[in-house]
Amino acid sequence: MATTAVDVAAAPTPPPRRNSRRLTLRRTFIGWTFILPNFIGFAVLTLTPVVILFYLAFTSWNAFGQANWIGLENFQRLITDGTFHTALANTAYYAVMHIPLTLAASLGLALLLNHKMRGIAFFRTVAFFPYITSIVAIAVVWNMLFSPDSGPINQFLMALGIDNPPGWTTSATWSMPSIVLVSVWREMGYYMLLFLAGLQAIPRELYEAARVDGAHAIQRFWNVTVPSLRPTTFFVTVILTIQSFKILDLILVMTDGGPGTSTLVLAQYIYRKGFEENDFGYASAVAVVLFFICLALTVVQFLLNKRREV
Amino acid sequence: MKRTLLTGAAALAAAALTLTACSGDADGGSNGGDGGGDASAVDTITLAGWSLSTTPEFQVLADAYQEQNPDITVELKEYDATEYDTQMIADLAAGSAPDMYVLKNLKNFFTYQDGDQLLDLSEVASGVSDEVTGMDAYTVDGATYAIPYRQDAWYLYYNKDLFDEAGIEYPDGSWTWDDYAATAEELTTALADSGSDALGTYQHSWQSTLQGFANAQVPDADLLSGEWEYLVPFYERVVALQDAGAQMDFGAVTTNSVTYQAQFGTQEAAMMPMGSWYVATLLAQQESGDADEFNWGFAPAPQVDSSTTDMPVTFADPTGIGINPAVDADTAAAAQDFLAFVASEDAAAALAEIGITPAITSDAVTETYFSIDGIPTDETSQFAFSTHEVLPENPVAAETAALQNILNDAHSAILAGTVSPADGIAEAMDRAQSEVLG
Repeated sequence: MATTAVDVAAAPTPPPRRNSRRLTLRRTFIGWTFILPNFIGFAVLTLTPVVILFYLAFTSWNAFGQANWIGLENFQRLITDGTFHTALANTAYYAVMHIPLTLAASLGLALLLNHKMRGIAFFRTVAFFPYITSIVAIAVVWNMLFSPDSGPINQFLMALGIDNPPGWTTSATWSMPSIVLVSVWREMGYYMLLFLAGLQAIPRELYEAARVDGAHAIQRFWNVTVPSLRPTTFFVTVILTIQSFKILDLILVMTDGGPGTSTLVLAQYIYRKGFEENDFGYASAVAVVLFFICLALTVVQFLLNKRREV
Repeated sequence: MKRTLLTGAAALAAAALTLTACSGDADGGSNGGDGGGDASAVDTITLAGWSLSTTPEFQVLADAYQEQNPDITVELKEYDATEYDTQMIADLAAGSAPDMYVLKNLKNFFTYQDGDQLLDLSEVASGVSDEVTGMDAYTVDGATYAIPYRQDAWYLYYNKDLFDEAGIEYPDGSWTWDDYAATAEELTTALADSGSDALGTYQHSWQSTLQGFANAQVPDADLLSGEWEYLVPFYERVVALQDAGAQMDFGAVTTNSVTYQAQFGTQEAAMMPMGSWYVATLLAQQESGDADEFNWGFAPAPQVDSSTTDMPVTFADPTGIGINPAVDADTAAAAQDFLAFVASEDAAAALAEIGITPAITSDAVTETYFSIDGIPTDETSQFAFSTHEVLPENPVAAETAALQNILNDAHSAILAGTVSPADGIAEAMDRAQSEVLG
């Protein structure tokens, strides 16, 4: 009886093991066939250039011929390069203003447009519209609005009795705030959409429970909405931070880094050194620095988020 | 799993590095420079150009050559006008560039020449007429790498109708920059009195409109020295013109995306320093209605002092064509034949017919140029066209682009009024020393 039981149990075991291995292999193979087309694209268009970039950062290269290995020379040059320091400071200045403002504006818009009311789709579309408009068109139009003498903004300020309105993009002090204003206006619609999705995922019961407990609107916002939106806020902050440090297009069209170097940012400095001065090795070194800044900030944000979750 | 990923990444990195190293080796070689090719074995050669529908000069050269050489076709390959050099560098590095390419911006000639991307054309150059200007700009250590077909020059354009309205005499070719500035202010006042809102002059926002003249006209001016005090008076003059309201503010120009063609073409300014290419543009725009109909002329550019008014000094870079060293010997021979034609008087006449200033301005070419319909034929305009010394805007060197970028920052800061001319230039000189020259 016992032997039969063993025989019965032992005999059929090997075939299923072989089968399950084959099944695993098949599943892996199917998985790879799904990933592969995308991965090949990523490897050729993103990964390889990134790897080459890291190599080029240690060379001197003018796009033709062989890149000459110069070790850490490019990075030593960065330490004493005043314009690099200016670009770094400007980039940080932009990010410090842009991130909280965009967060506040997009969350505010999302809260405002999260109600059931007539024409809500229209208002949501209006808020999202700047994001899908060409950046060049936006820059040209805003530049005209900001024009120091004939622009509507200063005309309005002067009508209000302000005699000496700012020069906006033509003033070294106001050029960066002007750009931040335009970029917040442009991007808030996109992040609003993410916040709206987050808001709609919050269970109604939480608000009802809070109401039963006697919480007023502000308390409900701080104790229900904000904690429930944490995953969305985290995602938005990470993306916003990376985007802010990589800012280029809007500045290129609006001020081209000027007046002087008042709006020169790291991405434009990389473009200048690489494509205008054909100093690709040095440009790569700046790009590596920018990469590590973005990486470090993202890691810090993940750690902070983890700690908060615990 | 982690190890597999790491190994994979390492293999990829190695492959990428090998690839770059390989392309490096390939770039070094050149097949076409040996000479001895047979041009008749080739039936098509390719030439790079930009904005072909609005820049007819390449087609004009190709057609004129084909007329004399029916067996060979010059095929044009279009590039983007603003990203021309970036795209060309990428194509040359990838081995997919055309047989011949135009050196659109002289400041990038160094990159191509230093990167072994231009065939030595000394043999063609030695056979070219002495009258061809701009060859020196393409000559490095005695070897010539491109053949100029076009040599622009900067003039002072003026609106005769607005001068008449203000009751002020036209520029006569003897002006210094101080005369120019004084007249701009006088014109503004007089035009305002007569009810016109046109300003005395319009200097476009480019750094060339100031620095180009200063680099060419100031004796001993040397961009590469990093000693740029000579620019200060040029800036002080323009800042004063802006303050006096005789010239549009730099801020207004940049924030409103003002174009120089609209500013002069719709009579918003009575004078404008601009390159010779604008003659053809203005004629075309008056024809199409994009510019007003008015009488105009061009005079030699104002000078630093009266000592150079007999042979006015102006600036502009030559435009030349070079040969991609990756071509085979036969194609190189055919391309060299085309370049010899490009510098000939026949090609110059064909270019002059469409309002382009060729590299040769002989009497015959001058006559062709001034027979264009609508072109001003007064003595001052003819003198400005035929008599001048043109110097390149910038010297050709590895540091030029970096120094120019620093000067461009100073340019926008000074003209936007965020810093005084003297302080702005001093700051630029410090940057040049610490970042480029030091």
